[in-house]
Amino acid sequence: MGWTVGLTALGALCLAAVLGLRWAVYHRVPLTTPADSINLMVLCCTLIMIPMERKENLRPLICFYLHPLALLCVLTAVLAHPDLHSEPRELRSSMLALHVGMVFVAYALFFMASMTSLAYIFKARHLKHHNTTGIFHRLPSLEQLDGTLYRLTRVGYPLFGATLILGLVWTHTDRALLGPHWYLAPKVLLAIVMAVFFSMAFHGRRTGLLRGPKLANFIFVGFSLFLAVYVAMALLHLREYNFWGNAP
Amino acid sequence: MSLLVTGLNHHTSSITVREKLAFRADTIPSAVFELRKRLENGGVVILSTCNRVEVYVHHGVLDTDTLFERVCEFLADWHKLAPDDFKSSLYTYTNLEAVGHLFRVAGSLDSMVLGEAQILGQVHEAYLTSQAEQAADKVIHQLFQKAFGIAKSVRSETEIGAGNVSVSSVAVDLAASIFEDLSNKTVMIIGSGQMSELTLKSLVSRGVRHVVVVNRNTERAQAMAEPYGGEALPFDRLEEYLHRGDIIISSTAAPRFILHPEQFQRALKQRGQEPMFVIDIAVPRDVEPGVGELDNVYLYNMDDLEQVVGENLETRRQEAARGMGIVQRGVEQFEQWMRGVVAEPTITSIAEEFHRIRQEELAKTLAALPDLTEKQRQEVAYLTERVVKRMLQSPMTQIKHEIGHHDPHTVLHLVRRLFGLKES
Repeated sequence: MGWTVGLTALGALCLAAVLGLRWAVYHRVPLTTPADSINLMVLCCTLIMIPMERKENLRPLICFYLHPLALLCVLTAVLAHPDLHSEPRELRSSMLALHVGMVFVAYALFFMASMTSLAYIFKARHLKHHNTTGIFHRLPSLEQLDGTLYRLTRVGYPLFGATLILGLVWTHTDRALLGPHWYLAPKVLLAIVMAVFFSMAFHGRRTGLLRGPKLANFIFVGFSLFLAVYVAMALLHLREYNFWGNAP
Repeated sequence: MSLLVTGLNHHTSSITVREKLAFRADTIPSAVFELRKRLENGGVVILSTCNRVEVYVHHGVLDTDTLFERVCEFLADWHKLAPDDFKSSLYTYTNLEAVGHLFRVAGSLDSMVLGEAQILGQVHEAYLTSQAEQAADKVIHQLFQKAFGIAKSVRSETEIGAGNVSVSSVAVDLAASIFEDLSNKTVMIIGSGQMSELTLKSLVSRGVRHVVVVNRNTERAQAMAEPYGGEALPFDRLEEYLHRGDIIISSTAAPRFILHPEQFQRALKQRGQEPMFVIDIAVPRDVEPGVGELDNVYLYNMDDLEQVVGENLETRRQEAARGMGIVQRGVEQFEQWMRGVVAEPTITSIAEEFHRIRQEELAKTLAALPDLTEKQRQEVAYLTERVVKRMLQSPMTQIKHEIGHHDPHTVLHLVRRLFGLKES
């Protein structure tokens, strides 16, 4: 696993270098294109993953994170590489840059929560069906998977909430850019639905209404749907705030 | 140079024969000392466990047949038996076969329970005893060090040690795959029975501190709970307290189910859907199968536990084949090392012969040049030394290479003839 994490850290450095170079070349924070966004999210995941690797019993979880991340990187490289040659759009204020940056840190946490859910589902199903061979032995206990899932949601959900509030504050400073119906833009609606969804997951887990396989299924299926919608929006160019028309 | 292992184990002999040849732990040092004295040299290790008694011997002069006879004589004298009483039960491996056998033993590939971890410690203990008695010569030392390395590789590169193979240990393993820390979990024993007590003991040894015993007979419940500082509860309050059990072991003699899904649904609600591990080892079963279908309840009955034991054993059997591959590689590496050891006397002789010639010629030259200063004499001496070293470098490398790829005795015979050395 040492090599895996070493190579992952190297990959993260390369991603950081790509983002840094784009920032240096264009003098703009490179967060606006899908490729930049995904690169930032993968970078955040890697930065969260590396300290996890130091905990021996959590280490096997990394294989659940690494595979989809690697796939995401390959897909980005294949589908969105022209983005890397284009100039990033200007983020008008540092508050906006912070808003966008924080969104992707929260996405990274949600992504990892969804992959932890997958590990939970896998382990719980094997345990339920009395199949305890293979990777089963190596995975952390259900209690630890549940704890990790809860911690990721506990950090991700308030961070995402704070990001949305920061976004709301910013809209007051730059109404002209967003148009009059910015709050009806697909991107904003998706963010609101996502906030409500993770609020339900977080509070459901806290109160015991959503726990164990139910919570794991809820988060995994939910996040997969959000990801699919996000990708579809990116492909259909529905990510603009002024989707319903520009400001007069 | 001969290496031999002879002994008996659970595959080859009954416990009646094994116990006759077994060494008490406190007598092994004197036994090692005595055998080495009888062999007059070499290395000796005695491994005596409940499943095997083995004597490992290395000797530089005696052949393996003689070594075997000497070891048998020793065993007969030490245990006051006639050699014919046990000789037919002994297996014997010599040279590389002996190496392979030790690697299999240390790697737990020859154990009664494949992959059990205890044997490596026992082999290590046997080696340390031999070392303390100064009976571990160079070959024995290298052989056992290599065996420890191979055993570690077998354990780390295969799944030979994965999964337990007894019902009570499997139950504890399963509990540990649900709960991270068993010390803050409560074990609830319903009824009584040997297996439930065994499982409870295993759980307590893994850190469980809270024990609740539910029994129709309150006195029996108290007697069972007391050694663990546990709590005894009357059977009619089982439902009321069910939610307190994280791990529930049920083994009553009830003729029909005593625990039903509705009871667990209520218990789960009371404990905020925290998971419950239910082990039903009663026959007929105590827990209705529908309980296992509830979310956050993991139900295992006796058949399920035995199925897991069977799967673990099968995994170990499959992994043993991979372990054998690691052993084979280890034997090949050890063979290379042994060939180097065989070549050592010849290589030393060649070096000594060259240095003898160097010294003779140097003395002659220095005698013919009396006007040289001390510094010049040293320079000349140094020059001859360097010339000899450089001239020897290539033949030495080639000898080692040839020995590694051809019969060492043929190669060494030729080398000794080539350099005009006496046969060793």
